[in-house]
Amino acid sequence: MSGEEYVRMRTLQVVVLVVFGVIAARLCYLQLFDTKYAELAKANALRREVLYPPRGEVYDRNGEFLVQSRECYDLMVVSRDIDRRGFDTALLCSVTGIPREKLEKELRNAAAYPRAPRMIANYISKEDKLRFDECNFRGFYTVYRTARQYPRKVGGNLLGYVGEVNSSMLRRYPEYRPGEYVGVSGVESAYESELRGRKGVRIREIDTHGAIKGSYMNGRYDTVPEPGKYIVCTIDARLQLFAEELMRGKVGAAVAIEPATGEILMMVSSPTYDPDELVGRERGNHYVEMMNNKRHPLFNRAVSAKYPPGSTFKLVQGLIGLQEGVLRPSDRHPCREGYQVGRLSMKCHEHASPVDLRYAVSTSCNAYFCYVFRDILDNPKYGGAKNGFDVWREYVESFGFGRKLGSDFLNEGNGYVPDRAFYDRRYRGSWNSLTVLSLAIGQGELGCTPLQMANLAAIVANRGYYYIPHIVKRVEGRDSLDRRFYERHYTKVDPKYFEPIVEGMWSSVNRDGTSWRARIEGQDVCGKTGTAQNPRGRDHSTFLSFAPRNNPRIAVSVYVENGGFGASAALPIASLIEEYYLTDTVRRPELVEQVKSMNIYYPAYDR
Amino acid sequence: MTGSRHNRIFDGVDRATVLLYVLIVLAGCVSIVSASYEEGAADLFSFSHFYMKQLVWVGVAFVTAVVVLLLDDRFYHMLAYPAYIAGLLLLAAALVAGKEVNGAKAWFEFGSFRVQPVEFVKIATALALARVMSEYHFSISRAGDLMKVGLVICLPLAIIVLQNDTGSGIVLGSFLFVLYREGLNKWLCIPVLLIAALFIFSFLLSPMTLLVVLILVCTFSEAMMNGLWRSRIVFLAAVGLAAGVLYLLVGLAAPGRMDFYHALLAATLVSLVFVAVYAYRANLRNIFITMALFVGSMIFLPTTDYIFNSMLKQHQRDRILSFLGIINDPLGTDYNVNQAKIAIGSGGLTGKGFLQGTQIKYGFVPERHTDFIFCTVGEEWGFLGAMTVLGLLCALILRLMRMGERQEEPFGRIYCYSVAAILLFHVLVNVGMTIGLMPVMGIPLPFMSYGGSSLIAFTILVFIAVRLDASTRQFTLNTKY
Repeated sequence: MSGEEYVRMRTLQVVVLVVFGVIAARLCYLQLFDTKYAELAKANALRREVLYPPRGEVYDRNGEFLVQSRECYDLMVVSRDIDRRGFDTALLCSVTGIPREKLEKELRNAAAYPRAPRMIANYISKEDKLRFDECNFRGFYTVYRTARQYPRKVGGNLLGYVGEVNSSMLRRYPEYRPGEYVGVSGVESAYESELRGRKGVRIREIDTHGAIKGSYMNGRYDTVPEPGKYIVCTIDARLQLFAEELMRGKVGAAVAIEPATGEILMMVSSPTYDPDELVGRERGNHYVEMMNNKRHPLFNRAVSAKYPPGSTFKLVQGLIGLQEGVLRPSDRHPCREGYQVGRLSMKCHEHASPVDLRYAVSTSCNAYFCYVFRDILDNPKYGGAKNGFDVWREYVESFGFGRKLGSDFLNEGNGYVPDRAFYDRRYRGSWNSLTVLSLAIGQGELGCTPLQMANLAAIVANRGYYYIPHIVKRVEGRDSLDRRFYERHYTKVDPKYFEPIVEGMWSSVNRDGTSWRARIEGQDVCGKTGTAQNPRGRDHSTFLSFAPRNNPRIAVSVYVENGGFGASAALPIASLIEEYYLTDTVRRPELVEQVKSMNIYYPAYDR
Repeated sequence: MTGSRHNRIFDGVDRATVLLYVLIVLAGCVSIVSASYEEGAADLFSFSHFYMKQLVWVGVAFVTAVVVLLLDDRFYHMLAYPAYIAGLLLLAAALVAGKEVNGAKAWFEFGSFRVQPVEFVKIATALALARVMSEYHFSISRAGDLMKVGLVICLPLAIIVLQNDTGSGIVLGSFLFVLYREGLNKWLCIPVLLIAALFIFSFLLSPMTLLVVLILVCTFSEAMMNGLWRSRIVFLAAVGLAAGVLYLLVGLAAPGRMDFYHALLAATLVSLVFVAVYAYRANLRNIFITMALFVGSMIFLPTTDYIFNSMLKQHQRDRILSFLGIINDPLGTDYNVNQAKIAIGSGGLTGKGFLQGTQIKYGFVPERHTDFIFCTVGEEWGFLGAMTVLGLLCALILRLMRMGERQEEPFGRIYCYSVAAILLFHVLVNVGMTIGLMPVMGIPLPFMSYGGSSLIAFTILVFIAVRLDASTRQFTLNTKY
């Protein structure tokens, strides 16, 4: 062999070895270093069937069902497994009650991904499912789900509803899969993690046709679904129902709190809706209807709306004045149908003059609280109204205004208390206590949620402190709620200053005040009316109240938009709620009739 | 007397080759069992199963091997041309009257049994090539002789391409391996490989780039062959200058009528006349071969787009595009390759065990007992199993080359190298496609893929080499006595 031939032979041997070397290197990478193929192989040959747990149920404070979980089924299809010749569309439609066009449309969509299971109908009842099982349609199967059911049909906004997870939710919480249900608002969303339970999984081996070949590793990795926990609400279902009936036809909100615990006994956002309408196949249509309703039934006014508190805010004004030492209960101020300084005047209704604090609260004198408010702001101690305003604002915040209270509602609103910077901007820096005088009587830029107002009632009832209002009393398997619900939150006003205000509220109902219609035999009701001017039609009507005067059991705030005087719309509703809760009966049927037949005109909504 | 002669023949048989062959065939049987085993099938030994059928074919192949060994080596020498011509006729017959499978009209069907003539044409071509190149006055550096070799390879290639069975046709390209061993100038081999690569990637490049690369490749390889660097650089400069002048002149005379690509093309083609004269005068004949290469490529390359779009079938186009990563569509074209990669990749170091491969068992890998049989090895026996099988194949190929080197006659050497080249190409393309190194071409893994005609053809191919080798060794053994 010549040297040339030897080189060529060696070269070719090297070529062979290089070819095999490249293949070996590639195999080494595929089999030893790239782990994605093992995962992909599992994804190919294993089908993970998710087993859904029943969603937790919700009880009211007396153990009555507010929300139940009803058994229902999703109809699924794997397009390529459908028996094309033997499949009877009409039969499937009649068995499951799906309209034919919808079924055909879904089947066309499913054909785009022939191997993937796809849901074509949901909320199939148990009875329909049994009939479906008898027919044995190839390629179709059902998956167990639960649907919500509301025996009392109350508390739509309060309980919230359940819907399919949306894409932003899917991005944030990878444990959810498309098509799964999740609490969207109210209790359902606030306690989602407790209510949803834990999904189970069953892993099966499948072949390339999707046929099930058996369980994977004899079910070693299968898990059983864990049902959602039940929840006991602080709501009294009967009171809730009664309040919803009273609020029907009005726009506004009513909230009742047990002052000693902060538990929300009743919470109505009106107009409300039948929560069952947001379950089942018609859900989408009902949802669109509600979204188009100008009165916004899906907006939870009780925790999110911002209303001017009106005269009810005088309670806060008086308390701050007492604490600041600029007001003594015996101080008298004149009121000649209002408060006048120069060109500025604040009207008041006709009553005796001069008045002391008790009577000023009782009869809701505007002028009196203008004096108090100006004394607070212009207190020489602080050197200037602006500094005084900062002090005032701190007090107001300590009552829970202008910020979230921290309740278990995720969509709780802040309300609004303007700050110094706001007025500096608005008046280009030149303003004084007169400029912002409307704050004295709870008007102007102030905005409070009905929950904050009910909380104010609870603060006064407790003489100086509150528990954060909350909706859930107990969660299955948990000894206690979040710690924040057990802490007393004191305002910056000393409890000793509350008694004169309580005295004023008591006499407003029981002696010589604007709230005389709220009187209930045998119960020492205390109350404060409020009438808030607003640019959109008649005044808003509001009423704050608690009862009995000593060891109060209930604190109520009712707000009726465009309801007129506080005493005309909000007061009777609040009073009836108190009566029903405290005595279990209503002895004033004519008042109930009057409330129910009340006709309020809403130019802002019903154009 | 005959008995002793047979004994002596079997004495000369290379035992290592036979052992490797048997081991690979057995590995193939095991894989086919895995690939076609059905859990809970009623009768495990029924002949309706692929693996039972294959077992029968293995038996037939062993008998064939013995028959091949029994025939005289001169018989194969004599058989070369008739077999080659018969092969061409068979191919032509298949083109006219064959059955179309997967778009290739390359099959004969006898009942349930299908034969692909190309399997046997490989043998015939290898024999014919060995015969041509072992003629007494043959010299591979002579242009005329090289043309003969090209003819032997390209005749069957042309018919196979016409059958639309490009994958099998490309196998014949592997004879370049043999030509190199037989002394073909490496500066012809390298441009051929480069041009093949250009052909694959041509639709990625502009015609201008292609032309420039082609001119450079041809000039450069010619310069490497003849070593006259200075004049080649002058040539390149002259062509470039001529093209530039032409472009400017035409641009002045009739603006927009000619772009630089056409100017360069014209300048190059005109220069070929001078090159031919120069080659004749300087007596550098190999320049003609380079010129033929260039002109041939020029005819092909501008038409590559045309070939690609009109001659290749949609699925072939998709496979090439998918292989090159130009389209990516896991559930469509890529599906086969992806599933193959998943099966192999999920095998890990030691594999999932015999009959435990989920991807194979549950049918995710397509063609799992034929073209994608290697997936079974990769999934069930893991990296170690795959390396064992590859090791056996590699050893067999190297052994065949070794056998070629010890032949007394060029005929035997060329034949052995041909067999090695064919096997190497099959392994590279078949295994390469299952692991995403190669586009999907429907060619089987030697000795392992299910199918009687392929197994028997490869058996004959290898055992003729063993027979040729045996008589050489017998001769040396006899002289020693």
